[in-house]
Formats: sequence, structure tokens, C-alpha cells
Amino acid sequence: MSNGPEKQDWRTRLVSWVDGDREPKDQSLFVMEQRHRRRFLPTEEEHERREKTRLHRFFNWYPVAAVFIALTLVTVLLGTVLQMPLFGQESNPINNEVAEHYLEHGEEDTGSSNAVTAMILSYRGFDTLGESCVLFLAVTSVMMLLLKDGEDEDGKLARRSAREADQEEHGDIILKRTAWVLTPFIFLFAIYVLLNGETSPGGGFSGGTILGAGLILFSSAFGQRNVRVIMDRKTYSFIRTFGLMLYALLYGAYIFFGANGLPNYLAGMALLIDLAVGLVVACTIYGFYALFSTGEI
Amino acid sequence: MIVLEYILLISVVVCAVAAPLCKRPLVMVIVYMAFSLMMAVLWSLLQSPDLAMTEAAVGAGITSILFFLTLKKIHALKGTKDE
Amino acid sequence: MLETILQDRFAVTAVILFGIGFMNLMLQQDLLKKVVGFNIMDSAVFLLLASLGYIEGHTAPIVEEGAVNASLYINPIPSGLVLTGIVVSVSITAFSLALIQRIYRRYGTIQLRELLEKAKKEED
Repeated sequence: MSNGPEKQDWRTRLVSWVDGDREPKDQSLFVMEQRHRRRFLPTEEEHERREKTRLHRFFNWYPVAAVFIALTLVTVLLGTVLQMPLFGQESNPINNEVAEHYLEHGEEDTGSSNAVTAMILSYRGFDTLGESCVLFLAVTSVMMLLLKDGEDEDGKLARRSAREADQEEHGDIILKRTAWVLTPFIFLFAIYVLLNGETSPGGGFSGGTILGAGLILFSSAFGQRNVRVIMDRKTYSFIRTFGLMLYALLYGAYIFFGANGLPNYLAGMALLIDLAVGLVVACTIYGFYALFSTGEI
Repeated sequence: MIVLEYILLISVVVCAVAAPLCKRPLVMVIVYMAFSLMMAVLWSLLQSPDLAMTEAAVGAGITSILFFLTLKKIHALKGTKDE
Repeated sequence: MLETILQDRFAVTAVILFGIGFMNLMLQQDLLKKVVGFNIMDSAVFLLLASLGYIEGHTAPIVEEGAVNASLYINPIPSGLVLTGIVVSVSITAFSLALIQRIYRRYGTIQLRELLEKAKKEED
């Protein structure tokens, strides 16, 4: 009983020592030699002047060093590049059996005749999964940097709607008319590219970016309020997360069912994976725009 | 075809040199946009239509829009000084 | 020498672009211009990668019915890598632009020299 407080004391001392307190209470485990710090405070002007000269010297030498480093780098790279195999030859070492396999067996393995899409979505799907995560995290970090907060909900809403009504009234008529004509075609093209990624150039990334660009055009012409009708913040977060989850799930299933010796009924899966990637990319791009222009989605 | 390649390669380099040398940030972004468009044509010359489409949407569209919005936010455009 | 350069024109251009972008990244005082330089570096790397996969006279890697022969198409691997790279480069650009906006909101400038001086002053 009696050694309770003592133990406590011992523990606190240990904790304070671990935390980096210089002087444990009485028993000195480590006592730094206490020396009076030399009072060496230069006057304000002196300090400023010294800082200025230091910066000045830095900025004097910095360009010289930078140019030197850049030139050295370019010389070394140029030397390397000129030693590389010639451009456009079929016998180059990069055109090995891997590419040949992708081209020759891509269609039966993945059901996609566009070898690039086949490679991105099936052969190297983990790569793409990581990349989708990068996009997801990029939107999240931009949100952390730019999302407005700390205002009461009512005032925010009122001000937002007032501002948007104003924007709508004084919107640019050329932009509005052009967008009115162009937006349907852009969406159509985006969906075409997204869904036909297996047989023609395109796929998740291209279709997603075009879809995002169409959303941006629509949003900048008709105001963000109209986009919010179909996609408010909750829906946006849902779609963003849903796309990534769908991708992970589908690709997991894809691998689980034995990627290459794929049963026939799974052949259409590449299309769904494509769609998931497209959703993630489109959401990412629209999210960037919304956060940059108004600070909210 | 090869002539077009040379023209594009040279003008890509010219654009890359010119873009950051511009005084006004707006001009810089527009020159960068031209750079991206020419890169898109180069991708299609390299027989990669996927890349060409993505680069055209991304480089000329989205990146430039993000730059413009940033310029507006940091009051570097004309008429956005007193906001 | 000249013939090699002409033959490897894409790679040489990529190196030149990389050098330009690197110079901009190091030397510009304006943060926005640094970001543009960074993007140029990105493009240079993509150009080099994509040019590696190109084969003279071959077409885009979209396999047609009945023509399953690898010697008709270019190499799809660099294209795929670059495709992901382009999309990632957008998100990098967006992130750095967001950082620039925050820096402007905090310090009121995006010129590196003023920025350093202001930051120093605030530190003291």
C-alpha cells in the first residue's frame, strides 16, 4: 500500500524522462549541463540586415548552381538517349514477348480488342487500382485545403443562392448558348468513349476526363446550382466512393475467379470495371473544378 | 508526315520555352494550352489515340481551367483586383 | 551523330523539354510558373515513354477481327503506363494549385522571394 505513491512517482518520472524533459524531478538520470545561454541578441536592424545578406547571397548563388545542375543533367540524359536503341525499330528490346502476348491473347483473355484497355484494366489492374486511390486521395486533400467551413448553415445557403442567382442573371450569353448546344454532344461522346473502350480507342480514363470536362462546361455555363440538382455533396461523395469500391470489388472478383482462364460469363466484367474507373475519374475532375471555383461541391 | 512531326516537335519546344517567359500569367496559361494541344497531336502521330484523347481533354481543358480559376483566386487577372 | 539525333528525334526533344522544365522549376520566382515547368517535365517523360513503344509503320493497338498478329501493331505497354500517368499529373497539378491558393490566402503573394522574406519575418 505504502509504495503506491512511490511507484506512481517513479512512473511519472520515467514518463517525463521519455517525453524528453531535461530534468527528471530530483534524481537526475540525465542532467544536461546547465550553462548560461550567452545573451547574444543582436539589435533588430542588425538581425534584419544579416538575414537580408544571407538571402541575398543565397539568391545570388542559387541560379548559377541551378543552371549548372540542369545543364549537367541534360548532357547526361542526352548522352544516354543517344545510346538507346533507335526510334521505331521493331527489333528494340522493349518489344518483347510480353507485348506480343498482350496483343495476341488479349482478346481471348479479357474480351477487349483494344490492347491498351485490356492491359490497363485486366493485366495490370492493380496498377489502376492504386492510381484510382491516388485520384481519390487527391480530391480529398484538395478538399482539405480549399473546402470552406466554419460558417452557419443558413447564412451560407442564403449567400450562396444569392450569389448564384446573380451569376445566372449576368452570365455570359455566348457561353450559355454554346454550352446549350455542345453539352449534349460532349456527354454523348463521353458515354460512347466510356462504353466502347474495349473496341475503340478510349476507355475509363479518356471517357472519365471527357465526362468531367462536360460537367465543368455545364456547371460554368448554367451555374453550379443546376449541377447540384443531380449531384449534391452527399451524392458526390457516394459516387466517388462507390466507384472506387466497385472497382476494388470487381477486380478482386476478377482475380479470384482466375483472371486469365476467365469463364465466359465474366467476359463482360471489363466493361463494368471500365465504368467504375470512369466514374472515379469524372468525379475527381468535377470535384477539382467545384472546389477551385466556389470552394464547395 | 515526317515534316509534320518535325514542325510539331520544334513548336513544342518553342512553346515550352515561351510559356514561362511570358509576363502576363494569362498568356502563359494559353501558351501552355497550345503546348498541350500539340502534344495531343504528337500522341496521335505516335499511334496512341487513347493518349491523344486524354491529353486533349486533360491538358487543353481541365488543367487550363484549373489554372484560370487559380489566377482568378489570386487576383492575377485584370478586373479581379478589387473583389 | 546528326543522323542518330534525327532518328531519335522524340527522345532528344523529350530531353530538351525535360531540361526546360527543370530550369523553370529551379529558376522561376513565380510559383505558378514553377507548376507550369513541372507540367512540362511531366510531358517530357511521357513523350520519351510513348516514343519507346512506337514501331515504324505499325498501327494503334486495336486488334481487328482475323488479324491477330503482333507484328501489325505498336507496343501497348508504354501507352497504358502513360495514360495513367497523364491522369495522375492532373491531380498533382490540382493539388499544387490548391496549395498555391492557400499560400496566397496566407501571405498575399506567390513570388518566392517575397514569400521567404515574409515567412522569415513571421517566424521571428
